[in-house]
Amino acid sequence: MRKSLTLLLSLMFVTSALLTGCGDTKNNAANNKGEAAATNEAAATTAAATEEPVSAEPFEMTVRHTQVGADKQKRLAILEDVVGKVQADVPGLTFKLDGVDSDVNRKEKLRGEMAAGNPPEIFDLFGSPDSKIYAKEGKLLDLTPILDELGIKDKFSNLDPFTYEGKIYGLPIGGSGEGFFYNKEYYTGKGWKAPATFAELEQQLADIKADGKVPLAGASKAGWVPLMLANHLWSRYAGPDVTAKFATGEAKWNDPNVIKGLAKYKEWVDKGYFKKGELGFEYAEYTTQFTSGEAILMYDGTWKSSVFKAGQSGEGLIGKVGFFNIPPVDGGVGDQTALMRDVNNGYGFSASAGEDERKLAAVKSFIKNMFNEEMQLRGLVEDGVLPAMKVDQAVLNKNITDDLMSEIVAVLNSSQSSFPAFDSLVQADVTTEISNIQIQSLIGGQTTPEKMGDALQKIQEEANAAVE
Amino acid sequence: MNKALRNPLVFILFVIPAMVLFIMFFIYPIFSSIYYSFTSWNGVSDTVKYAGLDNFKKALGDERFWVSVKNNGWFILFSVGVQVPLIVFFSLLIANVKKLKGLYKTAVFMPSIMSTAVIGILWGFIYEPNIGLFNKVLGLVGIEPVYWLSDERFAMLSILITNAWQWTGFYIVMVLAAILSIPGELDEAAAIDGATGFQRATRITLPLIVPIISVVIMLSIAGAMKAADIVIVMTKGGPAGSTEVMATYMIKYAITNFKYGYGNTIAVLIFMFTLVVTALYQLVFARRTERIEY
Repeated sequence: MRKSLTLLLSLMFVTSALLTGCGDTKNNAANNKGEAAATNEAAATTAAATEEPVSAEPFEMTVRHTQVGADKQKRLAILEDVVGKVQADVPGLTFKLDGVDSDVNRKEKLRGEMAAGNPPEIFDLFGSPDSKIYAKEGKLLDLTPILDELGIKDKFSNLDPFTYEGKIYGLPIGGSGEGFFYNKEYYTGKGWKAPATFAELEQQLADIKADGKVPLAGASKAGWVPLMLANHLWSRYAGPDVTAKFATGEAKWNDPNVIKGLAKYKEWVDKGYFKKGELGFEYAEYTTQFTSGEAILMYDGTWKSSVFKAGQSGEGLIGKVGFFNIPPVDGGVGDQTALMRDVNNGYGFSASAGEDERKLAAVKSFIKNMFNEEMQLRGLVEDGVLPAMKVDQAVLNKNITDDLMSEIVAVLNSSQSSFPAFDSLVQADVTTEISNIQIQSLIGGQTTPEKMGDALQKIQEEANAAVE
Repeated sequence: MNKALRNPLVFILFVIPAMVLFIMFFIYPIFSSIYYSFTSWNGVSDTVKYAGLDNFKKALGDERFWVSVKNNGWFILFSVGVQVPLIVFFSLLIANVKKLKGLYKTAVFMPSIMSTAVIGILWGFIYEPNIGLFNKVLGLVGIEPVYWLSDERFAMLSILITNAWQWTGFYIVMVLAAILSIPGELDEAAAIDGATGFQRATRITLPLIVPIISVVIMLSIAGAMKAADIVIVMTKGGPAGSTEVMATYMIKYAITNFKYGYGNTIAVLIFMFTLVVTALYQLVFARRTERIEY
């Protein structure tokens, strides 16, 4: 009897221990907070020595960033500097930096946390469609009053991707523009200059091909890579604002001018201007084709300029790379200097951060210290990321010492307007269809520009109807 | 002690911890998945809208979903039709080598302990159109380069070969263990009676390892139904969706598009298809081969 009693008691102990382990997370969180408070006390005393005892009570906030890996060290250093400044600004505050791969954060971790209602206070956020979905569900902090208070609302070049129903829910950390990087050494050898007309560009592509070189780098395993150029081409032929009109029904994917853009892309594929076998190559190989000298031109975002710096994979091409916008096309609609530009990645803040006065103060300080001219210039000079905020041209010129970056800025300045990439304008279903199926089918010869336009329009109409 | 064990309450108490874990990590997720499969939940919202059978109708009416089902079918056929015979063949060979058996076992087992991402990169080099091993060999006999991963005709086959390479060794070690556990007297008696090596392999060893082959086939079918990682690292489901499987379809068309309800529908369909295929296999083949007595 005694033995069975002992057995029963031990079993109950094990079971209750197990159930306690799986118990209420709120209690755990409270306990953890208590522990964290205890451990952080020492750190906080120094920072808050001059403050009132109550406001100096230690508290912790998490910053989820995506600056992981060797090539993001400079961006991480900027964040660390900002974090240091905010900690000095807000008594008692200790930041916990949580670095996660961008894709994992965007598609898994942050979404899970949003669903569970426990996102970090500050996190890396994509503008469209992510921020709008989170904002609609009330998960994000409305930044409009903070921006008004800090007086920086009008300092951003474009906040549309982070705006939902007139309120701002996130801030872009930097911007990018897309155009052609070209091998200047090869061009100089041929006595060429960056093309001023579309005919000149096409002649150069034909001549490079005839010379036995690959005219354009190609790596289309991921659909977004070829779509950068295809997007710019259909926007040249059908107008820079055409993509924005797909979701409203004012324009269609099978409009003749859109088809012209797709047909031009197909024509270049058929003429063998892209690296053969491109559908099997990863984005990393795209860069390698260019840096190795195999491909003479590469259509890519301005973020790629960081590759052509000392210690990076394109080090051998420092001073030998130029950048130009797609020249105007004959019969093209709208501004023919328009550049594809994006400001879709930045920081967002959890709605719960606004409920605690001190956390709100920390958020304000973070915005003040991160989103200013100094940090935007550091991003540009150290990391090759274009400013998301308006920066005076004279200041920009003074800070840029890199030839390629000067050329990029000159291209940006010479374009009279800009338009965002398609994936921030059309619904996710349309993005999936064009990225995963249609563009690869076009390249692989399984579809025609006309059929592609029809297929996309069908998905677009279904997506538009679903919204209504 | 005996008294305690006669009390049903004690048994229940012993079972509770395991049951709690089983319910938490198996039963609850399945039922939660089934529940969400009937909703249009976006994965973020606090409110969940009931969508009836809409998600199921959408999936079953989507041509791309059926392409992915067909590709899972190719995985099963390749596993059972090509991989399993090779597994048996190599197991018999290795079981009969006199020297360096350990080395052979380690060598064939090696790919299965490698991460799929590494295998993707490794085979990416082998399939590389210009400098890859396959095309170099084909070039020696004057065959034009084949675009293994970027040509719709070869992309699925390339994945199947890589997947088979990754898992063959794992199953070989399983089959090998079964072969080596067969009492040596049986083989010796047959040898004394004048049976050749081939006869001993086909008439004695093979019939005795049928149960483990059956298990290998079962595991291959289950593995084929949930394949995803190898497709993601090799082709990302391309070119143009031609190598999509059900799991990658679920990620691409549902999860990344904030359609968790639809994603759960696909997960439920994968679960159901796997259940049906494995149940069919059990009923038709496996039951007949469950027991072997020496």
